[in-house]
Amino acid sequence: MVSLARIDDRLIHGQVTVGWSRHLQPDRILLCNEEVAADPWQSRVYASSVPPKLAVAILGREAAAADLRDARPDRRDILLTSDPADMLALVRAGVALPEINVGGMHYAKGKAELHEYVWLDRDDVAALRGLLAAGCRLYAQTVPGSRDADIDAADLDRIEAEL
Amino acid sequence: MIHGVVVTHGRVAAELVAVVESILGPGQGLSALSNQGKGAPELTAAVKAACAEAVADDARGVLLFVDDMAGSCAVACRLAAGVTAQARVLSGVNLAMLLDFCTWRDSLSSEELARRLVEKGRQAIAILPANPGDDD
Repeated sequence: MVSLARIDDRLIHGQVTVGWSRHLQPDRILLCNEEVAADPWQSRVYASSVPPKLAVAILGREAAAADLRDARPDRRDILLTSDPADMLALVRAGVALPEINVGGMHYAKGKAELHEYVWLDRDDVAALRGLLAAGCRLYAQTVPGSRDADIDAADLDRIEAEL
Repeated sequence: MIHGVVVTHGRVAAELVAVVESILGPGQGLSALSNQGKGAPELTAAVKAACAEAVADDARGVLLFVDDMAGSCAVACRLAAGVTAQARVLSGVNLAMLLDFCTWRDSLSSEELARRLVEKGRQAIAILPANPGDDD
């Protein structure tokens, strides 16, 4: 069971390993990222950056989708992707994700600001539209207890107009 | 000489370096980086650039100081250290470590200095007695 599906371009870091993990008590962090999964050095660095009691899996899109489709219902996962495109790929591959947390997409050239910690380019907007069309609720929130804000089609329209 | 880069959440790095320079004076071979507003690729690129700048400046090594051993700063520094010769990553940065770094960065190898600073940092963490002469 996915306790939290989160888009965060910092991947595994304190907001996840301390903030959300303390709140949700997950059994595992599943990081879905092709680049990290294909690089043993990056995989080791990220895998060793979680508390020892937490299991970690670092998988590409296809393997992550297969893993989540067959997931044990009693295992609580935090699912992380660095961008909306990976999350959309998982949803289109049959992973049920009713809610998706947009936790951190930081500034880069060519992006427009939705929230202080959520900056989007055209590819991001298109993938988020795909997630909305698939029936996912999108909400921006950094850590438990902080203010959350739904992300809807009107928000994406506004951002697209700024790009 | 060995160069130091302090990489932390928020303004911690800048403030630590400012305090060191207020005590010892400017030009201590320390620079500061924040993770604020940066995703993992941007932060890793910034740390790599700081390492490259230090090496170009004839540094014999680079010590990367981070606040949290499992946060975004530590991950970025470990990834940068993997491609920078003579770079070491030290977690749990505190003022005692940085002051000692400035004292010894001319005379020790980066490996020797890294080990020394970890010990110094640990020694600086203690429960201090409220009254002189009281050991409890």
